[in-house]
Amino acid sequence: MRSILSAAVVALVVLSGALPASAADQAFVSPIPGLTAQDLAAGQQLFRLHCARCHGMLGEGGEGPSLKRARLQHAADDEALFDVITNGIAGTGMPATWSPNDAERWQIAGYVRSLGALPPEPMPGDPERGRLVYETRGGCGSCHIAAGAGRGVGPELTEVGLRRNAGYLRRALVNPDADYPMLSSQITGRINAFLTVRVVSADGEFEGLRVSEDEFSIQMRDLSGVIHSFDKRSLLSFDKAFDHSLMPGYDATLSETDVNDVVSYLMTLRGAPQEAP
Amino acid sequence: MKNPVTPLLLIALLIASTASARVPYTRLLADEANGDDWLSYSGGYRSERFSPLTQINRANVAALKVIWAYQMQPTDLPGAGLQETTPLVADGIMYLTESASSVTALDARTGRLLWHWAPDIDQAVLHIGFPKVNRGVAILDDTLYVATLDARLFALDAGTGAVRWSAAVADNSVGFSLTLAPLALDGRIIVGVSGAEAGVRGFIDAYDAKTGARQWRTYTVPAPGEPGSETWQGDSWQTGGGSTWLTGSYDPELDLLYWTTGNPAPDWNGDLRPGDNLFTCSLLALDPATGAMRWHFQYTPHDTHDWDANQIPVLVDGEVNGRQRRMVALANRNAFYYLVDRESGEFVLAAPYSRQTWAAAIDASGRPVLLPGNEPSEEGTLVWPSLQGATNWFSPSYNPQSQQFFVANRRMGSVYYKADAEYEPGKPFMGGGEQALSGDDAAGAVLALDGLTGRIQWQFPLQSPPWSGVMATAGDLVFGSTNEGYFFALDRVTGDPLWRFNTGDHIRTNPMGFAVDGRQRVAITGGRTLFVFGLE
Repeated sequence: MRSILSAAVVALVVLSGALPASAADQAFVSPIPGLTAQDLAAGQQLFRLHCARCHGMLGEGGEGPSLKRARLQHAADDEALFDVITNGIAGTGMPATWSPNDAERWQIAGYVRSLGALPPEPMPGDPERGRLVYETRGGCGSCHIAAGAGRGVGPELTEVGLRRNAGYLRRALVNPDADYPMLSSQITGRINAFLTVRVVSADGEFEGLRVSEDEFSIQMRDLSGVIHSFDKRSLLSFDKAFDHSLMPGYDATLSETDVNDVVSYLMTLRGAPQEAP
Repeated sequence: MKNPVTPLLLIALLIASTASARVPYTRLLADEANGDDWLSYSGGYRSERFSPLTQINRANVAALKVIWAYQMQPTDLPGAGLQETTPLVADGIMYLTESASSVTALDARTGRLLWHWAPDIDQAVLHIGFPKVNRGVAILDDTLYVATLDARLFALDAGTGAVRWSAAVADNSVGFSLTLAPLALDGRIIVGVSGAEAGVRGFIDAYDAKTGARQWRTYTVPAPGEPGSETWQGDSWQTGGGSTWLTGSYDPELDLLYWTTGNPAPDWNGDLRPGDNLFTCSLLALDPATGAMRWHFQYTPHDTHDWDANQIPVLVDGEVNGRQRRMVALANRNAFYYLVDRESGEFVLAAPYSRQTWAAAIDASGRPVLLPGNEPSEEGTLVWPSLQGATNWFSPSYNPQSQQFFVANRRMGSVYYKADAEYEPGKPFMGGGEQALSGDDAAGAVLALDGLTGRIQWQFPLQSPPWSGVMATAGDLVFGSTNEGYFFALDRVTGDPLWRFNTGDHIRTNPMGFAVDGRQRVAITGGRTLFVFGLE
């Protein structure tokens, strides 16, 4: 029986040209031993079904990291990549997959590895100037920790250069309501990791970010970093602001050049600070 | 020297062996009325999962506390950490299953381990379309019965865990697996199989309780020429699915066995199997002596959303439209609650209990009137409920005194995709996939339905779509649990929460109840720890 997808896969590959040129050559060299050019084409189609929503149609990143990297943070070798595709990454937005079989997961892995041969994304500005904006006029450290410095209210940015592409970072700066970092777990599925919640209790009004929630209680972190726990039944009101981030939009306060510089600085944040000697 | 056994000692051993018979069939018949024991998966052949005990009740449940806890044994089978077991209790001994298909006996008074038995499961065991779980044992006389992930059935001595016999039910290498608790009848053990996501042809088996010899096998997908074969085309019946992976019910007066069936294969691409695809997504009434099918009722003809009918069929009696009837109640994964006459298989009524976007109505014959635009597609089709359904394998509960049906409800939609599927033995055969709405776009509830109309009486909202069942008690309580780890008790009249306990991990099991030394107990497993609660 012919696959009803195969014709579409061929068309997509031809039209998009997303696969490295070698994938279509006679002298095809697989990025993972044992896979054929057809496997990579099938992997691309599977990638679009299962992965593109977060990683982008061409693996350029979006809500999830760009995969156009020779070295992937959570996949040091091919087996680790296969494991990530199979089981997801705990504590991140990367979910497990269950419907592709092993052969199909290897096809996805092969396609992802082929993306590593593509050129990295260029920086839109000056990262050093961006660092200064981040630390002074931006005031970013009042809500974010990067390399050990700052206050932990919003997402930690220590490795944000590995996790987000330039487009996502720009959008987060100028229109923070547009995207939310997501967490994925077997229990909750994908959930907004920084949902804005507003609570009125007998002790007053509280606004902050949801840390945890169940049927009976809600835990939130306010903008000063303090964690509060409430019994839902005791609250006078309780609202979730799905369309409103507590992150300020910087389109009014920073220039276009400043935004490009900050995006460039964030792209350089690729790991923890070095250990003290 | 071999054991020198004198004839006299042999006679003594035989007498001792007879004396140790714990649970004859007559006790299984009385399981519902006997609150001290819990002798079958659903607490009796009617599958009410109802405890008649009243010591713990609305007035005092707030004082419920942990009496003991048991932390399960480690397993070296990768990915086998989820627990779906319902323990049994007989004469002060608790029998439960753990990962992977292993069996444990505990002192129900203290939680002390008595014995643990683990089968040798190959690391490469296939489990296509479901996690590596087991839901419990059956007990008959002095023997326990456990079905295994690698599709075998074991009979174990209840006193020691020693293997009495084992039977190869099916071939795991083509995708068959057993995760259900077997059902013990008079002298026979009934099991069903998982594997529709691998394109197996489903069946229900009966085994001789003493010897392990297979007594009959009834396929859920007919071969050419058999009744129902007109609902399949070509060779599609050979890989037609219809798995039977959840424990059924039994009416001793009618002498009918009720068993449910799962989805046709491949799941999401119905083009490859035109027709109603009998007897998938159905309720079957079988003669327990021969396996002959007396009648069938198909809930979801030609299913393309993986809405298995593998939910617990609960036997309920009552007056509907002025007529006293004996019925089977089932809250289906497809979001409708059904009553079917259990003598004739005649459709009685259906009522939606959860958001659904696929059927305009259920007609007078019980057949859904389909709404257009709900078929899985290459670009994706958003449908409620999700493929995990408005409920799933976890048990409902029926309070026969108040005629209330309680069900844990998943409120979740899904984008269904269709793709081609080519059958290859032991490989996924699904024809598509889904992306479920999740996080804050999904939720759950415990519902109380009028068991004779399906009308929703109250609903207790849950943070996320649950994977755990409910148990009602004569103390006017409904016990349930959450993904977030809570075990809780609701007032059966109002649905108000009266008590809760955070077990600290995901709950994916059913509650059960028993008594020891005259003290009522309620049990649930959170994560890998079994908790037993009581007032003192």
